[in-house]
Amino acid sequence: MKSLINILQIAAAEFRFIMRDHGVVLFVFFVPLLYPLLYAFIYTNETVREVPVAVVDNAGSELSRKFVRMIDATPEVSVVANCVSVAEAERMNKLGDIYGIVVIPDDFDRTLANGEQAIIGVYADMAGMLYYKSTLLGATNASLALNKELKASRFYTGATARQEAIATQPVAYDYIPLFNPQGGFASFLMPAVMMLILQQTLMLGLGMVGGGTRERFNGLALPTARIYRNPFHIVWGKTLTYFLIYMLMAVYMFTVVTYIFGLPSLGDFWTFVAFMVPYVLACGYMGITFSSFVYRREDCILLFVFMSVPLLFLSGISWPSSAVPEFWKWIGMLFPSTFAVNGYVRINSMGATLGQVSHEFIGLWIQAGVYFLISVMFYRRELHSRLHKKR
Amino acid sequence: MRKNIFVRLWQLWMRELAFFSRRPMMLVVMFFAPVLLLLFFISLMGAGLPTDLPAGIVDEDDTSTTRTLVRTLDAMENTDLRYRYSTFSEAREAMQRGEIYAFFHIPRGTTERALGQRQPKIGFYTNESYLIAGSLLMRDMRTASEMIGMGVSRQTFVAKGMGDNAAMAAVRPIAIEAHPIGNAVLDYSVYLSNIIVPGCIMLLVMIFTPYTIGLEWKRNDQRKAYNLAGRSTTLFLVGKLIPQTLLFSLMMLLCDVVFYKYLHFPCRGGLWMMWGIGVLCILAAQAFGVFVYGLLQGNMRFSMCVCSLWGIVSFSISGLSFPTMAMSPLLQAAAWLFPLRHYYLLYVNQALHGYSILYAWPSIVALLCFLLLPLLTLPLYRYAFRHAKYKP
Repeated sequence: MKSLINILQIAAAEFRFIMRDHGVVLFVFFVPLLYPLLYAFIYTNETVREVPVAVVDNAGSELSRKFVRMIDATPEVSVVANCVSVAEAERMNKLGDIYGIVVIPDDFDRTLANGEQAIIGVYADMAGMLYYKSTLLGATNASLALNKELKASRFYTGATARQEAIATQPVAYDYIPLFNPQGGFASFLMPAVMMLILQQTLMLGLGMVGGGTRERFNGLALPTARIYRNPFHIVWGKTLTYFLIYMLMAVYMFTVVTYIFGLPSLGDFWTFVAFMVPYVLACGYMGITFSSFVYRREDCILLFVFMSVPLLFLSGISWPSSAVPEFWKWIGMLFPSTFAVNGYVRINSMGATLGQVSHEFIGLWIQAGVYFLISVMFYRRELHSRLHKKR
Repeated sequence: MRKNIFVRLWQLWMRELAFFSRRPMMLVVMFFAPVLLLLFFISLMGAGLPTDLPAGIVDEDDTSTTRTLVRTLDAMENTDLRYRYSTFSEAREAMQRGEIYAFFHIPRGTTERALGQRQPKIGFYTNESYLIAGSLLMRDMRTASEMIGMGVSRQTFVAKGMGDNAAMAAVRPIAIEAHPIGNAVLDYSVYLSNIIVPGCIMLLVMIFTPYTIGLEWKRNDQRKAYNLAGRSTTLFLVGKLIPQTLLFSLMMLLCDVVFYKYLHFPCRGGLWMMWGIGVLCILAAQAFGVFVYGLLQGNMRFSMCVCSLWGIVSFSISGLSFPTMAMSPLLQAAAWLFPLRHYYLLYVNQALHGYSILYAWPSIVALLCFLLLPLLTLPLYRYAFRHAKYKP
């Protein structure tokens, strides 16, 4: 009973420290609440549609014009200009008006009439992979459709539609994206961003409070108040405050943000909550471990903020983890975000059960355990050295 | 006694250098962090394109024809068909476990239907929750599927007495030839490292500027520094920030040398041009930091928070991964307020395209406008020097 009261006292003190510093309030409340909304707003259109391209139609025939119309009709690209030369199209690219150029050769009809293959050049701006993807996809889809028509009219005149379909495409195929079916950018990146926000702001909060304590108490990591005497109680008490705040933030992201922006939500609520418990704990204990290195509270902003970018890549959400070098995989395992991002994506976007993310789930518990022990040892040493100083 | 302005500057710089040598944190931010970031990104994406992405196959037919198909697919660069599953749901569960990014499904009777000209249907399933892996595998699987169909019809045409080329032309009258401008091999390292590493350096600069300025107040040294600068805010800022500018510029040069000389990333505009752009962006980031600190009246922690939030958003709003043109008009306008957006546009113009820099003049002007921002806050600094105190 006494222990419980002690833990609650420490938790309450920690909450007061958070509220006293505007910087900490900003990171612990403002960022987890508003940043997901901002990011979702940035990516809300999910895909790039109607990428502006220019066409250089050197053939100028009925067929080539038909092809241009077919490209324009695809959702991926929009033909905004008909240029007389590649140079003119290039000029438009220089000005940033178009992101791709489709060049139809002047012998387009002749090659086709001779029964040879006509080659259409597609020049894609590599400023962004999505421009390239859209331009190429639009041109390819248009060419496949026109190919089918050409083949049908040339070789299978008089056949029934069914015969024609079989002859032009003897083996049919279906492409089905199982999860995140529209290939949306928000649906792909937001889960990772939300998990990272939780970890990074929690670490910043703990680090800034820890640094503030050191500043106020001449380099001591703990206030001199009497309630700080048992290292286990200190670790539990400090993390209890963050645990309560961040579980609420996690639920807010899982429900409100996901709902407002229509992100994938195949996940079961209690699976998610069960998965978040070790994550928030691991983040909290890691925050205490890291804050032991921080002597000035502003230092942790410098150290932790820029780490978010490499951590996003370590999680394997954008750069596939099967292509991450072994060394960085091990480094990634030091951070809870790596497991959490992968687990959360699978739970929320793919409807995985706790058993299917057991690797991540166990990983997070191990991290929580290890960082917990380090935190306790850190405070034990701290309390110990304080006793020695008094003597 | 009136001191010469250069003498004052010299004294300020020496003071800064002494400061750097006393605090390991400075060395971490200005040297170790940029070097580590550079090493991290070039080693992470060193392969350029992720090869051999794990994929699976559900071959319910299991005939020699379908086995040929599996071999065709496995030979593709990005695909590694290392897992076999006996049923569809087994493969789906493997995807949920994160074992594979995609799988091919060949239903029972495919070969029989193909031989009997009854148009069998095969399917491939990808996981677009991992966008890069999913779309790379989609490309491979689609090509393979097209090839199977084309292989069958080509055989028919060859059997009818056509030559190989003619048969190919008959199967596929119009072919698309892709020419990615500037990054011919679709190297992801070229596409991402090129912006993200300088972007991280700019983020560090942005947070570091209010940090170092704020330390004067925190250590209650601001009056001393102000007097040393002859009660001139401009001189104080120049004295304070130029040593950092130099060090960060050297780091930027290191990145450029590694990218363009060592790794041979495409750079048409030349290394020095890219470095010039990098230095301009460092100055813009510093100017932004100075502006925020002045505006918030010397509230060091709060200005660092604002700068870090601003800097983190710039990675998204710069349009490097998700194009700005697909964002809401409000955000398209807001993108102008982020130095990284201009670095990205200038990089595309200079390194990838190698066009004249005149085509990117709006970005140059925007960066120069950033440099003017501190002027707006000079009076606020004067006030802060006299009255502001560090708030614990």
